[in-house]
Amino acid sequence: MERRKFLGLGVFAAAAALIPATLSAEDYRKTKPDAWKAHTVEDAIAKLYGTSTTIEQGVTVTTPDVAANGGAVPVDISSDIAAKSVAVFQNANPESAVCVFTLNETSIIDYAIKIKMKQSGTITVVVEGRDGKLYSGKKTLSVALGGCEG
Amino acid sequence: MEIKAKLKDGITTVKAMAKHPMLTYDVAKKQGVEANFITHINATVNNKVVLDMSTSQFLSKNPIFKFSFKGAAAGDKITMTWVDLLGNTETTDSVIK
Repeated sequence: MERRKFLGLGVFAAAAALIPATLSAEDYRKTKPDAWKAHTVEDAIAKLYGTSTTIEQGVTVTTPDVAANGGAVPVDISSDIAAKSVAVFQNANPESAVCVFTLNETSIIDYAIKIKMKQSGTITVVVEGRDGKLYSGKKTLSVALGGCEG
Repeated sequence: MEIKAKLKDGITTVKAMAKHPMLTYDVAKKQGVEANFITHINATVNNKVVLDMSTSQFLSKNPIFKFSFKGAAAGDKITMTWVDLLGNTETTDSVIK
């Protein structure tokens, strides 16, 4: 009985030790609150990653050239870079940051999201590589009907 | 939240829609209500994080999004949770097909 209890405890302790490791995701809203208030894309990238210097390659951003409804502009993001995080910015709204994905070894950079854009502008996607470098992709589009009222 | 998760050639693709008004600060001010939008979306399969997304007010109303990941099997349960600015949360389970 003693031994059984001891073993049971060991399994429980091991499981408890594993849980924080598997759920270790970063909440960028708490860790980098300033990045969400930045008004320009460069400023937001600098607040999030410490530098706004990026290499403009390896990131594909796809949107319609003219978005009929600014309330839901479809944005597709894809890349083959081994990455730690992916961040999406735009310069059409009062603040720049849209969202930040935290990646792990199971993730594939193949996202589709819908965002709001008040007016025509440029969407910038920054990929933080595992090599520590920042890669970016851009797409400029027209918005027929601004959608911040939505 | 509505979730559709499909497995093909070892890659699981998930399409999801969260029901949320996503009120920006500007709109909330005009309407005289408090701004509220989803700030974090998280998805797990077998206790492993497969999506972790910090978001701002500029996702569309009732945001739709698609993402992919490796390492899951058909029949696995996927659990997604969102949290908004006021602290409300919603959790939905679905099964990978």
